[in-house]
Amino acid sequence: MPPTVASNRSVLWLLLAVLSLSSVPAWAQAYDGARREEVDAGVHTPVLTKAPELIQTVEAVYPPEAAAAGKTASVEMLVTIDEKGQVSDVQVVTPVGDGFDEAAIAAVRQFQFSPAEVDGAPAPIQIQYVYNFVLQPPKVEESAPPPPPEATLTGQLLARGSRSRVGGATVRCGDDPEAPEALSDEDGRFTLKVTPGTCDVRVVANDFHLFTTKEELAPNETTEVIFYLMPKAPGYETVVRGAREKKEVVRRTLERQELQKVPGSFGDPIRVIQNLPGVARAPAIAGQLIVRGASPDQTLTFFDGVEVPLLYHLGGGPSVLNAEFIDRVDFYPGGFGSRYGRAIGGAVDVATRKGSSDTLHGSVKVDLLDSGFFLEAPVTEGISIAGAARRSYVDVLLPVVLPDDPEGGTLLVLPRYWDYQVRVDFGAKRGSEPGPGGRHSGYVMAFGSDDLLNVVASGGGRNRDITVDARTLFHRVKGDWTYRHGNFTSVFTPYAGYDLGSFGFGETKLDASIWSLGAREDLALELLPWLTARGGADVRFEHLVGEGRVPFLGGIQYPAFPGGEPKVELQDIRRVANTFDGALYAELDMKVGPVTVTPGLRATYARIYGQDRFAYDPRLWMRVQPTEKTAIKGSLGLYSQPPEAFNLEPAPLGNPALTHERSFQSSLGVEQQLTDIISVDVTGYYNRRYDLVVSPGDTVRNEDGTLTRFQYSNRGLGRAYGMEVMLRHAVTRDFFGWLAYTLNRSEQRRVGSNDYRLTTWDQTHILTAVASYRLPYGFELGARMRYVTGRPTTPLQHTFDRYDVDRNNFTGTFGPTNSIRFQPFHQLDLRLDKNWIFQSWTLNAYIDVQNVYNASNVEATFYDYRVREQFEVPGIPILPVVGVKGSF
Amino acid sequence: MRHLSALLGLLLCAACVGPEDTPSNVKDLRVLAMRLDPPELLAETCSTDPAVLADTLVRPVRLTALIPDPAGEGRDLDYTLWTCSSQDDDTCREDRVELARGVTKGGELVVDLFPGPGTSRLGDGTFLVQRILEKDLYNGLGGVRMPLVLWVRGGSEQIYAQKLMVYGCRFFPEMQANVQPELPDLVLAGEPWVAGVPRELSGPGPFEVTVPDLTGREEAYVVPSFELKPVNLQEAWEVAWHASLGSFSPNTTGGADLGGGVARHRVEWTPPRNAQAQEVRFWMVVRDGRGGMSWLERTVKYTP
Repeated sequence: MPPTVASNRSVLWLLLAVLSLSSVPAWAQAYDGARREEVDAGVHTPVLTKAPELIQTVEAVYPPEAAAAGKTASVEMLVTIDEKGQVSDVQVVTPVGDGFDEAAIAAVRQFQFSPAEVDGAPAPIQIQYVYNFVLQPPKVEESAPPPPPEATLTGQLLARGSRSRVGGATVRCGDDPEAPEALSDEDGRFTLKVTPGTCDVRVVANDFHLFTTKEELAPNETTEVIFYLMPKAPGYETVVRGAREKKEVVRRTLERQELQKVPGSFGDPIRVIQNLPGVARAPAIAGQLIVRGASPDQTLTFFDGVEVPLLYHLGGGPSVLNAEFIDRVDFYPGGFGSRYGRAIGGAVDVATRKGSSDTLHGSVKVDLLDSGFFLEAPVTEGISIAGAARRSYVDVLLPVVLPDDPEGGTLLVLPRYWDYQVRVDFGAKRGSEPGPGGRHSGYVMAFGSDDLLNVVASGGGRNRDITVDARTLFHRVKGDWTYRHGNFTSVFTPYAGYDLGSFGFGETKLDASIWSLGAREDLALELLPWLTARGGADVRFEHLVGEGRVPFLGGIQYPAFPGGEPKVELQDIRRVANTFDGALYAELDMKVGPVTVTPGLRATYARIYGQDRFAYDPRLWMRVQPTEKTAIKGSLGLYSQPPEAFNLEPAPLGNPALTHERSFQSSLGVEQQLTDIISVDVTGYYNRRYDLVVSPGDTVRNEDGTLTRFQYSNRGLGRAYGMEVMLRHAVTRDFFGWLAYTLNRSEQRRVGSNDYRLTTWDQTHILTAVASYRLPYGFELGARMRYVTGRPTTPLQHTFDRYDVDRNNFTGTFGPTNSIRFQPFHQLDLRLDKNWIFQSWTLNAYIDVQNVYNASNVEATFYDYRVREQFEVPGIPILPVVGVKGSF
Repeated sequence: MRHLSALLGLLLCAACVGPEDTPSNVKDLRVLAMRLDPPELLAETCSTDPAVLADTLVRPVRLTALIPDPAGEGRDLDYTLWTCSSQDDDTCREDRVELARGVTKGGELVVDLFPGPGTSRLGDGTFLVQRILEKDLYNGLGGVRMPLVLWVRGGSEQIYAQKLMVYGCRFFPEMQANVQPELPDLVLAGEPWVAGVPRELSGPGPFEVTVPDLTGREEAYVVPSFELKPVNLQEAWEVAWHASLGSFSPNTTGGADLGGGVARHRVEWTPPRNAQAQEVRFWMVVRDGRGGMSWLERTVKYTP
């Protein structure tokens, strides 16, 4: 007999309190990205809190031969600075020869910086630095004249196209090395005092082309200017980054550049996940995530840790989150941390980005059928805001495009959708010193989506009038409060939401509403140098209301006659269900030499539709790092997913005895850093899923002679095993790409049935190659090539007709289920971008061509009415898509 | 919404590869309908004991099958009629009991079953009805539904056609046995289409055919729910339209939908463009959605 609810809640909160009390100082890890504030998978993502400053320079020795030949040069270097501010390593990015490289390295090695700080603690970091060699004219001895009057040149340096502030740039007049120079600050501002007259302005900045212009400077006057510098790499951002703490065997992270530029993905970040290992190809343009053989509903998608009910507008349209709003996407095909639950497949966590802290930026996208904008701006010191919205106008355009009703009546198809995202960030300004009580930061975010589809077909010669109203809507409001103090990190994430699913067909109406309230608390504490504890709570309450007016359901409420479609009396229904799902999780990182072992446990108590359910999911990860570039990793664990609340409805609509679906997931792999930017990851996996909810359930004869026919039961079994390979070239200035290969087999059966058989979406080989290269003149070329084994199908073996006279339909004669496959799928997609950078804005135009060589891939099949012959439906033929986007 | 255009393209692709064979065009051997008279036999008491139902099960039944064979040129057709225990067994492979066998020709096949098929026994002497109830998902709540499978072979063509014989019981006092649905005379091209009255059509068409108002013909009836409460239903007849030349659009009409709407019965018959002058046969099969079934047969002299 399970304990009572009250006592369990007490235990949950007691454990949470213990975890909170045991939290003490200092926990810091490597820096990852310029504006990461999120906690990911229970692992804090480090943040650069203080940038290094150059406090001592050493002038390089000018190579004599180069000086004699009158040569100048700029040497671009990657400089590694240790936690004391000393230069520990210098590498030339592009050698220029003539002795400049060696001279620059020798000088930079003697530089002294102030230590960089990550999460308030000194930490090593890598920066780019350009050393400029300029010829100095011979010095002429002369008597010191009286000091001339000064002129002042002051202003701001902005990036051309984006108006981002350019800090750390050198501003001077002419080539004279003795001439005074100014260094721009974080806001790109500078002040230069020079001799009056004509100033040949030269601005040198990392990642920007040399900027030159002339300014007439009057004596004792101040001239204010704004200089727009041309970026060298308008395509991809280059950020200083380190390795994020990684516990999971497989966590694949996609950055913004990768998310928006993959050909064939329509620029939708969520769709890019389908190009990663472990994900089966979904049919046609559907964006479903079929991960390691699990059904799409067994993989959860989170936006900043908050679960969302749908990914795409209108089922297969654009994703419900504006691409500009996304910072990165983490994809866990399996073996994810104890922080995550309620899923037995994989998990996707989409991290949004905070608004810009320098000035107003934004973009506007105008499409044939929808428009959207994105804006980000600082509000005041330490507070920034970002917002986006989109609205379709398909409902306006379709009546114009569609022909008149061929039946002579009224035919209206009115789909529309809109979405929005707003995020306000607050907290200590980057670079500021953390206070004595730690560092607080956070944000509040609201987002939502609304899809509506109206179809009206009536009158004219039509036999049946049809009216369909379908709507899916959700809103979410979430907060995020992060507190860091020494080795301790706490992230509290409360959220609230409202979902609505509505369907109307004629007189039938059905509404399903969900009000949700939840919170997460993630704690991390480095107890000892070799021991880190993480823990937290993840609670969610949902109030579900299903109501409507529906006919009595044949086969569910009464024994229907085959094929009969009688007119049925309508019934009013209203169901209310409350569900609580509370989980505590804890993990312990124990590092002994090159071995890190992480045991974890997620304990869940759920009360669903009046039923108590418990699930305990022990998990174990192990990582062995024999060298800096090699890691062997493995994981074992149990995962649980609660049944849908209304599936616990009494028979005949549900089954109150349903329990959690479960899975055992295991994986073993190795990752190798081949070069600084190329890595390979090979992972094998075996997943067994059990207690899966299947329909129909069992029929039971009661003592009084009545029958109870349960709609569902936990009789499903499934298993998947295979191997994933990911060869990846990191995002650099000019290139990114990856080669993903999955070898997979996924099978299923029902308890008591025969052997396992292939699932419909089993795909033995899935090979995807993605690459994007930045060309000169603002061009950018991307390609995606895919090869996927054809999915299983059941062979048609017609020898005679089988006719159901009552139903007036034919059935076919088939061979063994899923015993043959469709032809393999293969397709090449190309994308060409062109960027025009104007002074204060950038225009991007692209053409994305799907199925370049017009491969005829089978996406679906159907039969003739007697089921004698099978017909194949080819996929999308060659399809060019053109788009334009402006940003500033 | 680039995706919608892609989806539209996919649908267009599907339209390119459709089959030419349509259900309303009868060009070879078909079983279009099987009528049982009476369509339902109602026992006064409900029981899962066949002995209690014996008086009902023994009552005679007439089966009439509509088997056009327009390309057969009057050939012989072998047929066999079986009954068996499972509705899912549409070829009666298991628990098969043969009811009739013989040779017929295209047209209507009439088989009188006396005593009724409900008295069928398996080889071991078990009442087939007993086995049916054991396999019935509803355990007899909706009555005993006995599968009858007619196998017809003409040359290399074979058809297994399954029809359910309904043995109901008076679970609620107001329950009545089903009455066979009978279509009134139809309206072709705006004029009544009466049996025995020759009609002529000419031109490329299409030609409109409608069913007059069925008010009063579609019965109201009651079935027990799984909670043993009465559920009130009303028949919404469905008509399947067939012709030996050309095709009907749509090929079926009627029936109720999920939203409670009932469709009208209006179709258009379109002859093929290259059709020659000929006599065209039409069959309109009506189903009441609870096992009752009948049909009308008409002919038309068609000239292009």
